Amino acid sequence: MSSSATTSSTQGGSSGPHSLAFRVMRLCRPTFQVDTTPLRFDPFDLLAGEDLFDDNIAADNFASLISGIDSKYNGPDSSSDLTYRTRLLLDHPSDAMGVPGLLVLPQSFGAIYLGETFCSYISINNSSNFEVREIHIKAEIQTERQRIMLLDTSKSPVESIRAGGRYDFIVEHDVKELGAHTLVCTALYTDNEGERKYLPQFFKFMVANPLSVRTKVRVVKDITYLEACLENNTKSNLYMDQVDFEPSQNWVGTLLNADLHHSQEADKIREVFKPPTLIRSGGGIHNYLYQLRMVSQGSPRTDVEGSNILGKLQITWRTNLGEPGRLQTQQILGSPIRHKEIDLQAMDVPSSISLEKPFEVRLNLTNQTDRLLGPFEVWLSQSGLSSEQVVRVNGIQTMALPQLQAFGSSELHLNLVASKLGVQRITGIIVFETSEKKTYDPMLNLEIFVDAN
Amino acid sequence: MSDPPAAQPQPLSPTQSSPPPTQPTTDPLSNPYATLNDLSPDLTTLHDLATRGSWLTILDKVIHSRPHLTKPHQHLTYFSYNLLSLIKLRRFTDALNELDSLDHSLDSPYYLYETYPNHYPNQCGSMVPFILRVLHAELPGKVNGSNRQESVDRLYVLLEFVRGKFGRDNLSNTSRALWEKRECFVINSIISHHLSLKQYAVCLDLIKGLIEKSEGDGSKLEERMGLLSKLGYIQMQYGDLDGAKTTFGFIEKQVDERVELKNLVGRNKALVYLVGKDYVSAVREYDECIERDGNDVVAVNNKALCLMYLRDLSDSIKVLESALERIPTMALNETLVVNLCSMYELAYVNHADVKKTLNNWIARVAPDDFDSACTRI
Repeated sequence: MSSSATTSSTQGGSSGPHSLAFRVMRLCRPTFQVDTTPLRFDPFDLLAGEDLFDDNIAADNFASLISGIDSKYNGPDSSSDLTYRTRLLLDHPSDAMGVPGLLVLPQSFGAIYLGETFCSYISINNSSNFEVREIHIKAEIQTERQRIMLLDTSKSPVESIRAGGRYDFIVEHDVKELGAHTLVCTALYTDNEGERKYLPQFFKFMVANPLSVRTKVRVVKDITYLEACLENNTKSNLYMDQVDFEPSQNWVGTLLNADLHHSQEADKIREVFKPPTLIRSGGGIHNYLYQLRMVSQGSPRTDVEGSNILGKLQITWRTNLGEPGRLQTQQILGSPIRHKEIDLQAMDVPSSISLEKPFEVRLNLTNQTDRLLGPFEVWLSQSGLSSEQVVRVNGIQTMALPQLQAFGSSELHLNLVASKLGVQRITGIIVFETSEKKTYDPMLNLEIFVDAN
Repeated sequence: MSDPPAAQPQPLSPTQSSPPPTQPTTDPLSNPYATLNDLSPDLTTLHDLATRGSWLTILDKVIHSRPHLTKPHQHLTYFSYNLLSLIKLRRFTDALNELDSLDHSLDSPYYLYETYPNHYPNQCGSMVPFILRVLHAELPGKVNGSNRQESVDRLYVLLEFVRGKFGRDNLSNTSRALWEKRECFVINSIISHHLSLKQYAVCLDLIKGLIEKSEGDGSKLEERMGLLSKLGYIQMQYGDLDGAKTTFGFIEKQVDERVELKNLVGRNKALVYLVGKDYVSAVREYDECIERDGNDVVAVNNKALCLMYLRDLSDSIKVLESALERIPTMALNETLVVNLCSMYELAYVNHADVKKTLNNWIARVAPDDFDSACTRI
């Protein structure tokens, strides 16, 4: 649309001159007028040298000089004031900030973004010298995908609009699609000659994406971290109202906040100053970090494949005078979870291990599925990459273990012997499920310290 | 405009009518500071013209008076009026040339009282009107919007300069109070620039400093509440509605029964309704403000906008038009006219004619510095 907030349109139809015309203004919220350098001053910054009142005689006369200047100097009481003094003199020191509190109507159509609400004042004017009657007015939004009716008076048409008169209405539409939009206003009316006329007018605008959201998922031990980077693609600063992670059913999420430099003094001024999260216009970014945990520890898990959906972000922001916007992301996927059917954990490893002396490691094997597994055979793989196997099984090389109930576990003791000094690793423990003929490599990676005798 | 009346005889100052016993008897006739006209010739007239917005007349008067000025400080005062007039009239290039025509830097010894003991016996310090420093800082940003950073930089330098003045031990109480006001003024001016650059974080920091200062230095209640309200406006502007409500609530707890403060609170309440889209309640609050003080132009202007959001364009136009008729010197400001013209553009197919009528009226009553571009004709 044009740069003015009140827009001109392209007119459809061809039935000669119309008595009626639509005038449209995008009605986003008003703005506080900010006058940069309002050029209002203290009178003595103009009338006298800046150090004049260092002089005691001058200082003693200050009060009388003031009374000679301006009877209103000591406060506004201006019922009979016929000057434009407020354009020159300050009433309060903060007047120099240039924010008098005056609101100003939107001065341009501006950009419109996904997630915002499009609001428009539509005025249908009768610029002819005759009354028009029986007016059916419609306003609808057309996008590439759909048409949404915003107003339709066909059922109770406007009876008449007098010459020079108007009929006004306000429409609202939550913007949920990107790309080209057209506000189509139509009027079907009877003119003074009794002719039925059809007036369509089109107001086009584009809807852009306000935010780009980039996510990273990292897994550290059992905890999943989701990092979301929000980039502001709009031309205004975004005040982030809420950026909430809505986890899918398997997860709980907490937003992690850096410890802000909270002032110790909790006095009354500071309660007013809650530092806002503002993302600067045109490419400013803000990062959010969420800590996610599986909720289903110990309870039956849903199918492994679906559970890498972590959830989605619900984002709400505000701009000018609280104009709201809201978006939600698509489902964010975690790194594919290789859900282990069996888990092997070390329970006890002796703190002192001597070279070439047998030692025992207690391990715990858990069945993490909801069905019966086993029996198992456990051994130490000899095909490690290391040319020399430092830690070996002492005695029977393959250990047999009975079946494990669903989610059951059982302890096993491995008798080992180390053949090299220093920090060594126990690697290559293989668990073989004999009924399904399936080999598991639980990736248990244990470090031990091997001492001399 | 006809020439203003010649300077009126000035009332005697309190010190003259009852001189304190400690002070040596001063002859009222030789008191060099009894009236504005004692400070510089015809200063009362200049001041009067300035408050009426007769900046063109001031330019004329300066040209005619300059040859008759006798003391260095008078030249600087007239120079300041001239420069301010040019800037008020948006003749920025002329203003820049004028400023460049100054023979010395503002800190030059040529502008110190002590340099001219014959004119100013026993006086010392700078005779530069403070406004010259401010205009020197503001001008680059006015000449060209892209130079705004230069203005901001100069204002920060000016802030340091002002703070340096506190360090002196020979300050009279009057002087100290003026310099404190100036510090506050410069900070407010800096905030104004950051605001238009939408640098809100630094605005908040600076306002926080101002609020802390005003709590400590015995500022008047209405000044402190005015400042807090502005914080609320800024919070609303960037979208922090809860923050603004907290700020407004904080104000409400502290005000007294004065009309000025009641209206401040009323307007704040109206804003909270407005952002909640409860325009009917907002209009009601504004009406109460207008009833208490018919000159509350902010309430009038904002009420008109609320009516428009209520789909009542006709009444919103009426509210603004009647304010212009009833209290032209109060109501005639560029923002209100911008709003009225936006409403005209929406309401009338022949809005160009309607705006022309308004423009003609403005040309008759407006001050010289009124920016008629706001009618978008």
